[in-house]
Amino acid sequence: MIYVVDDDVIMAKCIARACGGREVKIYGNAIEAMEAMSDDELPELMFLDILLVGPDGFTLLNEMASYADTASVPVVLVTSLNMEGRDLSEYGVVGVLEKETMRPEDVRHYVDQYTK
Amino acid sequence: MQKEVDGVLVAAHELKAPLAVLRQLALSLGEMSVQDEHIRNEMVNVSERAMRQVNDLTRMSRLDEGLFEMEPVAVRAVCDDVTQELKYLFAENRRKLDVKYANRAKLVNANRELLHSVVYNFLLNAMHYAEEGYAELRVGDAKGKVRIMIRDYGPALPVGIWREMKRGWVEQPVSIAMRPGSSGLGLYIASKFSRYMGATVGAVRHRDGASFYVELPISKQASLF
Repeated sequence: MIYVVDDDVIMAKCIARACGGREVKIYGNAIEAMEAMSDDELPELMFLDILLVGPDGFTLLNEMASYADTASVPVVLVTSLNMEGRDLSEYGVVGVLEKETMRPEDVRHYVDQYTK
Repeated sequence: MQKEVDGVLVAAHELKAPLAVLRQLALSLGEMSVQDEHIRNEMVNVSERAMRQVNDLTRMSRLDEGLFEMEPVAVRAVCDDVTQELKYLFAENRRKLDVKYANRAKLVNANRELLHSVVYNFLLNAMHYAEEGYAELRVGDAKGKVRIMIRDYGPALPVGIWREMKRGWVEQPVSIAMRPGSSGLGLYIASKFSRYMGATVGAVRHRDGASFYVELPISKQASLF
């Protein structure tokens, strides 16, 4: 299962569509996503926006990194912020997609790499 | 002043988000006919150009913060990137772009991102006014500097604007009345970015169009390219 966390529902659906038929759950904020992870099974991969309503993506990353079970969830940041030169691998970040330039095949690349 | 800058940055983000969504929606459309594929590409390209303009406005509002580092930049690599980026648009509008490099000094002292925007804005302008079907990009040496010049074959450049550009920059966006559709914003952005980099912009009036150029200081670092 893949999580898409983005407060822009249309963008979230675009990312979900690019996941090529895999099971995807969309969350509009960090709290919902975190709660889902404690009740639900863990996602194989998460696409995470940074500028969210309420707690931002960095807060969610920090929270995930602090729990043993969620720390290993691979996260792809999907953002319009410039993340060049920032190494967030210790937070489970395996890639960054820029909203302005990303293409559906970029999303699929991570889906193929990190999900069964 | 800081509040104004913050306002521009927030507005830029608000503008960029829907543009990014529109672009993504276009890319999300499934398989389509050749004709529809063409429309999809247009939608993607228009969104990308609009996002680039918003990004330029963001950069312009941040120039005072001095965040853009100067470094040795390979002129040819930047010009190649821009021409590659605009290749589609030139082809779509049935325009040709003639590019020639004749510069000995390969590296200039600049900020790559800002220089990219300067060349992009000049070339986009030339594409609009390439009435004879083509525009020219020339890179050459000019008295201890490197000059990137872009020539179009559009309407003549008003003498007032030519005179203003003689000093090396423009004070504010001025609509170039003899050039329909021009708000002067691209030239203003190019001028601001050039000034930040210690470069100058200028224009040459031709009877059949105009040339816009930027002259950049040569980097002291030995050329590795």
